[in-house]
Amino acid sequence: MKFSYSWIREFVEGLDVEAKDLERLITMKTAECEGVEIAGELLQDAVPAKVLSSVHIEGTHCSKAVVDAGKYGQRTVVCGAPNCREGITTVYVPLGIKRVAGVDSDGMLASTNELGINKDHGGIVELADGDVLPVADTVIEIDNKSITHRPDLWGHHGMAREVAAITGKTLRDHVNLELLPALGGPVNVEIEDFTLCPRYSALVFENVTVQPSPLWLQHRLTAIGLNPINNIVDLTNLLLAELPQPMHAFDREKLAGGTIFVRRAKAGEKLMALNHEEYELNPANLVITDAAGPVAVAGVIGGLDSAISATTTSIVLESANFNASSVRKTSSALKLRTDASMRFEKALDPVNTTRALARALELLPVLSPGIRLVGGLCQASAELKTAPSIDLDLHWLARKLGRVLEAGEVRRILESLQFGVSEPQAGKFTVSVPTWRATKDVAMPDDLVEEVGRMIGYSTIDPVPPLVPCAPSFDPPEREFLRAKRRFMTSRGFNEVSNYSFISEQEAARFGFAATDHIRVLNPIAAGQELMRTSLLPGLHRNIAENAKHFDQFRIFEIGREIHKRGEEKPVERQHLMAAVFAKDDGRAGLFELKRTVESLASGVVVKPLAETQSWQHPTRSAELFWQGQRLGVLCELHPSLLDAGRAAVLDVDLTLLQEITPAATKYQPIRRFPTSAFDLSIVTGTRELAATLEAAIRANAGVLTEAVEYVREYQGAPLPEGTKSVSFRVVVGAADRTLSSADIEAEREKIVAGLARAGYDLRV
Amino acid sequence: MQDLLDSALARIEASQNLADLEAVRVEVLGRKGVLAQLSKDMGKLSGEERAARGKFINQAKQTLEGAYDALKTKFEEAALAARLDAEWLDLTVPPAAAITSPAPGKLHPVTQIQWEIEDLFRSMGFTVLDGPEVETEHHNFDALNIPADHPARDMQDTFWLEGGWLLRTHTSPVQVRGMETLGPPLRMIAPGRVFRNESVDASHEHTFYQLEGMMIGREVSVGNLIYFMKTLLSSIFKRDVTVRLRPGFFPFVEPGFELDIQCLICGGSGCPVCKHSGWVELLPCGLVNPHVLRMSGIDPAEWNGFAFGLGLTRLVMMRYAIDDIRWLQSGDLRFLEQF
Repeated sequence: MKFSYSWIREFVEGLDVEAKDLERLITMKTAECEGVEIAGELLQDAVPAKVLSSVHIEGTHCSKAVVDAGKYGQRTVVCGAPNCREGITTVYVPLGIKRVAGVDSDGMLASTNELGINKDHGGIVELADGDVLPVADTVIEIDNKSITHRPDLWGHHGMAREVAAITGKTLRDHVNLELLPALGGPVNVEIEDFTLCPRYSALVFENVTVQPSPLWLQHRLTAIGLNPINNIVDLTNLLLAELPQPMHAFDREKLAGGTIFVRRAKAGEKLMALNHEEYELNPANLVITDAAGPVAVAGVIGGLDSAISATTTSIVLESANFNASSVRKTSSALKLRTDASMRFEKALDPVNTTRALARALELLPVLSPGIRLVGGLCQASAELKTAPSIDLDLHWLARKLGRVLEAGEVRRILESLQFGVSEPQAGKFTVSVPTWRATKDVAMPDDLVEEVGRMIGYSTIDPVPPLVPCAPSFDPPEREFLRAKRRFMTSRGFNEVSNYSFISEQEAARFGFAATDHIRVLNPIAAGQELMRTSLLPGLHRNIAENAKHFDQFRIFEIGREIHKRGEEKPVERQHLMAAVFAKDDGRAGLFELKRTVESLASGVVVKPLAETQSWQHPTRSAELFWQGQRLGVLCELHPSLLDAGRAAVLDVDLTLLQEITPAATKYQPIRRFPTSAFDLSIVTGTRELAATLEAAIRANAGVLTEAVEYVREYQGAPLPEGTKSVSFRVVVGAADRTLSSADIEAEREKIVAGLARAGYDLRV
Repeated sequence: MQDLLDSALARIEASQNLADLEAVRVEVLGRKGVLAQLSKDMGKLSGEERAARGKFINQAKQTLEGAYDALKTKFEEAALAARLDAEWLDLTVPPAAAITSPAPGKLHPVTQIQWEIEDLFRSMGFTVLDGPEVETEHHNFDALNIPADHPARDMQDTFWLEGGWLLRTHTSPVQVRGMETLGPPLRMIAPGRVFRNESVDASHEHTFYQLEGMMIGREVSVGNLIYFMKTLLSSIFKRDVTVRLRPGFFPFVEPGFELDIQCLICGGSGCPVCKHSGWVELLPCGLVNPHVLRMSGIDPAEWNGFAFGLGLTRLVMMRYAIDDIRWLQSGDLRFLEQF
């Protein structure tokens, strides 16, 4: 929202703070300012100028004009405007001498667009008798987000009230309610539901002349970003930006019947709006209708058919109040935000409907000379309720702010903002809330803490540590658990990455994930971000592929959440660790490094090779991980088709599960007092026999003396037959109570060998 | 006899290395060596001669052994020195060229700053809480005093999910969950990933990190809030910072503030970083709105508190002067390895 400094100054008597300083004060005490700029910069030096002569310059579209530029004297200017001609009074701006079309042009003749009065750039200004050139203004822009809770600040009068309170000046009110006629106008108003429209006021005028507004009004509207259209529309916009009270003018002759209805739209009712769009309405939308149907969407936009035009001579000037949330819903449903709807949705003060009409009664005779009021005030209104007053305990207020406060200071602040203050008991105020703050902004003592706090300035409050009971604070175990995992991974040389929670349908398909298993984003920001990830893999794969362009080998990991659908229930989020080792080698080292990594995270984890793999997995280098009987994750090589070069080993661990599983309790084994012995066994078997299977077979056939079975190595090649390998294990034997004799050892060895032979294993001797 | 001794001694001292020395030792001091020969003949001598011979042999043995030991030590020391010299190593070579074990990896810069702030607040008795990224409308909006048709919902472009869920637009829902589960008194922070439906460019992301903080007690004041904010920011920026509060509207606090810090680049005199204002807007905060307390089952007549929200991603950008926010979610090691 843009505020005109000169407009604010009209309301604040003797305002002597400059716009730049005011910007800072408003930022510190009311709302965030986004900047200050001059509106109509050229107006600062512009003067009316009479064109004494104008001669076309051959071969150009310009003419050489000599003007009488008042205090600047006679000047010669090259002007490109088609309407530059002898005799007119236009506007001269001194800009120094510049050579144009072979002539020294001393300054310029300006259009209203160049002067910032309106958007008309068809030619230079032609001033009529009595036209006064507006003066340049300064505009302060306020961040709309910082005033969403302040309906009063959507108009200059409201901002002027703040400025008066901040600077200690007096606020003027331009509204003279005595101008309002008595109730009983020529048009009936019927409101179906007063909660949706608490008050609808209107006046009827005849002998209206629709014409451009005076330049000062056009300039004022342009300065704050509104478009001047004609005197009647400009008046409604002036009051929209002043009180603030959005209004609408109907061409009375285009309204059917003598009654204006405010009701819910009927399903399927249509309105061709002022913006030349047709809107289909439904009962969620509030409409203004005449006898024939909708003529406006309440609080949002007027209809085209009943709009005023150059030929309008009689108008109905609507000034109504509508329910904020109803206007907001309709405006978002129609995808139509207007200056009116933006204000109504903040919950405007219903008192302003008649205040705005009183202002109109004062201004219209100036804007449309000869205009006549017809009859009295047309109005339907609910009883306007007075907001309950607020009890404010000054001791409580001081504790909330953390600062000592004088009662007189608090009173002065509240009264400067036009709150009513009484003190029925020392230190306890009863505060009445002005109507423009009562619609939803101020309702409880905490709201008054803000009023007082911002006006005394928060810089007057000292920082103080609180006095609190000293006790250990609760620390969710997950926090330290995840920290430890991150620390562990970095200590192992892995760099932490962070990927988006979104994936695309194509990505899901690429990794063989069913799109239907994913939660869908209803309003994705872009294609490619429509599904919530159920695996960290797509992100990590992208990281691998991208980093492979710059590095020959690297280690990365991500700890993040998978989001899984759970029918109608809230989706479940699981923390996962995914790590990758990339290298341009045969891929073995990376896989075993990750195996060691997961063994460190989950001691005793069991690796079960997958017979059937996913499309993204290496078909013969993939395994599931089990811990304490539960499926903990996956260890595999990425399918080579997913990479241009190199190999990536990938580890996925369900950290949520890992944290849930209690590791088996540590069991102490007394240290052997007697030495152990060992012997090696080599089993010749098929090349794809698993070491784990062989080890299990040895263990299955071992007796009590066998203490450990350790994988030593495997061998393929001569003299072994093609398609076989020899796998060697070391068997460690011992007893708690003696040193084993060679006979004991041999007996244990025989037992195992015999068992393996029975099971069909071929021992290499 | 003396000649014998002298020549033995000369031979020991003439040894060039340990092998020579060992050969001489066997010849001179060994079982069949020169001294042994002299002792052998002793039985044939008279008592007097025998005593003199014995004395001589003992002295000779001591002399020869002393010479031998001294030389042996000398050769051993020289050998060690030679070996160690041969082990010369260029320690200026990068470790990666010499060993296979990897250098430690780096934590993501957001993780680092998050831990830093967690540790600070833990030290001041705050609990660090976590909450879901997929939230209910109730926790993300309604319970924070932002009903469905409230204009404040426009401030936060929301990703809506099928089933009526949404991706949290701020970490504030964790406040609600904290109040619901832990109750008052309460001191908590909640770091985490949040989502806003906005287009991504060098300074905007749809996925970023925030840290929410809240304190609920019997008497919590604006003065307490300012204290914690100053402590927090001085700790983050490793120096004393000047802060200012100004009014800001957020439905879940009343009064609400925008907290600015005096520009760390120019010290407040004005520069491009602070857009020549001398101040940088850093975090929203305020006293918890009584409605929010009530909706979380806390009686605002008994309890009150403050809350604040800090952009972790923004802090990382500020601390390292990162030029493009998109690097943070890029997974690019050229970026990540720098922290």
